[in-house]
Amino acid sequence: MTAVLGISALYHDAAAALVVDGEVVAAIQQERLSRRKNDASLPKDAALACLSLAGLSATDLAAVVFYEDPFARLDRVLLSTLRSFPRAWRQFPHAIRSQIGSKVWVLDNLAFTLGISRNRVSTVAHHQSHAASAFFASAYDEAAVLTIDGVGESDTTGLWMGKGSSLECLGTIEFPHSLGLLYAALTAYLGFEVNEGEFKVMGLAAFGAPKYTQEFSKLIKIREDGSFELSLSYFAFHTDVDLGFNAKLEELLGPRRPRGKPWDLQSSPEDRRYADIAATLQRFTEDAIVALAKAAKRLTSSEFLCMAGGVALNCVANARVVQESGFKNVFVQPAAGDAGGALGAAYLGYIQATGKRPARMRSALLGPSISNDKARNTAAALGLKYTEPSDIFDEVAKLVLDDKIVALARGRVEWGPRALGSRSLLASPKQAEMRDRMNRAVKRREPFRPFAPAVLRSEAHKWFDHWNNDLSPYMTGLAIVKPECRAQIAATTHVDGTARIQTVDEDSSPDLCKLLQVMKQRNEAPIMLNTSLNGNGEPIVCDECDALAFFLSHPIDALVLEDILLQRTSS
Amino acid sequence: MNALLARISNPIVWRSRHHAARKLFEFSLAEHGSMLDLFAAARLTSSADRRAAYLRHALDERRHAAMFAAKSAEMRRDSGRESLGFPNADTDRLFERLGEQRFLAFVHRGETRGRRQFEVYRDWFADRADKRNRAFFDGIIRDEIRHESYTNALLSELAGGERERRAELRIVAGWEAWRTWRRAGRFLAERIYYASMVALYVLLAPFALFVGGVRPVRVGWCSPPAVCQPSHSSLRTAPQE
Repeated sequence: MTAVLGISALYHDAAAALVVDGEVVAAIQQERLSRRKNDASLPKDAALACLSLAGLSATDLAAVVFYEDPFARLDRVLLSTLRSFPRAWRQFPHAIRSQIGSKVWVLDNLAFTLGISRNRVSTVAHHQSHAASAFFASAYDEAAVLTIDGVGESDTTGLWMGKGSSLECLGTIEFPHSLGLLYAALTAYLGFEVNEGEFKVMGLAAFGAPKYTQEFSKLIKIREDGSFELSLSYFAFHTDVDLGFNAKLEELLGPRRPRGKPWDLQSSPEDRRYADIAATLQRFTEDAIVALAKAAKRLTSSEFLCMAGGVALNCVANARVVQESGFKNVFVQPAAGDAGGALGAAYLGYIQATGKRPARMRSALLGPSISNDKARNTAAALGLKYTEPSDIFDEVAKLVLDDKIVALARGRVEWGPRALGSRSLLASPKQAEMRDRMNRAVKRREPFRPFAPAVLRSEAHKWFDHWNNDLSPYMTGLAIVKPECRAQIAATTHVDGTARIQTVDEDSSPDLCKLLQVMKQRNEAPIMLNTSLNGNGEPIVCDECDALAFFLSHPIDALVLEDILLQRTSS
Repeated sequence: MNALLARISNPIVWRSRHHAARKLFEFSLAEHGSMLDLFAAARLTSSADRRAAYLRHALDERRHAAMFAAKSAEMRRDSGRESLGFPNADTDRLFERLGEQRFLAFVHRGETRGRRQFEVYRDWFADRADKRNRAFFDGIIRDEIRHESYTNALLSELAGGERERRAELRIVAGWEAWRTWRRAGRFLAERIYYASMVALYVLLAPFALFVGGVRPVRVGWCSPPAVCQPSHSSLRTAPQE
């Protein structure tokens, strides 16, 4: 047996992933267990949970692989602060504290935490981890791989060729020229939290028009060879501690939006201006990603493309890559961000140990499951009444058809930021009012945020165009809702006629698949609004305690907790 | 002690909306941190009844954190500043470190301290006929009293008697004092460190002069650095021990 544990940590979204004999047997983000959103701390809980799920102990591990080289990163941090001398005087103490204080000791800390010998802990490069997480999880024997994020050790973008069990780096773009940091800086400018609000910017973009092209062409230049260059004089991520942009950007685009101010896209011209800025940012980001993808196609002549890195979670851009870059198919692993680096590191460790290519990822349901007994006991202790229906899917279908909001917590937790039917809030997609109710009362978030439709894969063609690709099972791409169907699934059709579709089959999400089949048997559309089971600012629910706490504190109508059903009564 | 400090600092804390908003955000962070510890306790305890109690308490803490954050944001908006955002506290993993009995003693002491502090603030607003803020703190104080009471009862039950309960509270008081001392040390060390690093940065000026020439920022595609060579050779391991 060869078991390899991959770890990503200490920046944002720490995670652990376990590969045993080439199969991913467990993968989980630390935030799901610690309940701290985007928890970056050393993922001890996640690592132990992975081992427990596989029935192994740390001593059974052939290797533990960390997803980046801390010393290479230290080198880049030192270089960057010296290049920006003296403007980085405030950043220097913070950066050095963070590097010397914890990051350079991470391999020793991992060995100590897991109780294993230090020589079993190794590192791979950040973008190599991303590339491995995308390519080896895919079904392709050969593919071009693009990795795009904020910054790894020194790279912000990587172009790779994957073939069998090898990955060859064909080129990189280095810090500070970074699409991830451009998007993050503008996310902060628009008043959202960095590493959290990027999805909001993507949703907001659909409400605006790309009217600021002239201004943005001063911020980023996309070159003929697919690379890009930022005008650093507008940014501060290489000099400042708090903000990624500076006063010059505000001179260019106008004053930034204050954080926490409620949005009013209907009547506030200011907010519409911010939506236009978001739309322009989105357009430039898409253009840059499409240019990178075309460069990858030119260089590799491959039929397939894999993408990873936080920027690869931009499903609108991914949809354009599918349409415009010339690749036959595109794959984005569900945890494409930093968490996914743990998976890539585990894959690379496995290849190092055996020389064999690991098996493709078949499902994102890789985390811990719910204990039926603990769920019953805790519900009873909380004084909550529950039933155990003989056909729980039929009950849920009835509730959804009755316009109820149902939380589904069954089976293993999803890997990555998307709820794919194991920790989901489900509702009818028919009425637009459901979207507003879900945004306002349940998720307590901005009114412009869209919701995704989950649809039976076999039925998707009746409702959507451009859905048939390797992105749709993991909600990492977009489909176009057929114009004649838009009114029928109004709650999940975005303002621009698109939907972040999830195609469901028995392999990818068995429970959700059964539920949608029941809908079909009832002669209803086999589609449901599917959004993550979490409150505003919270990680997705993991275990029975989190699910019950969510049920107690949010106005949903029912909770399915493994085999039990709890329903809200008027009393 | 905290109540006394609160009484003394009242005029400073509530002097301006800016100060008050920051203070309220600190409370929000504290409540959020407490929520994380209570969720962990709910997950780790062996008793379903205590799990239920911790969950209910955690939900109260989450609500308090949201209330404090919203009030802080409102005050900052009124004074023309942007919100400090959503609280995302750190956790000390207290349940694992202290064990359930001492964790309960710790929570009980924290609730008592919080209640006394909030009572001082409530009275301050009551004296100024500020009904809205008085009601705000009154609501939270009611919850704190309930938390004090149930943690006390559970602590007595787990400790096995009144003397044992008091002993646990004393031990935790000592542990908290030690933690406060260390935090003060860390606070001071951070300031010294920060000043030293700024000085070091100034001393690095000569390197800054030639780093641009030796290792300039590279634009566009770069050839793969050593670290990106094919995967098999790039795993770096520690030297054999």
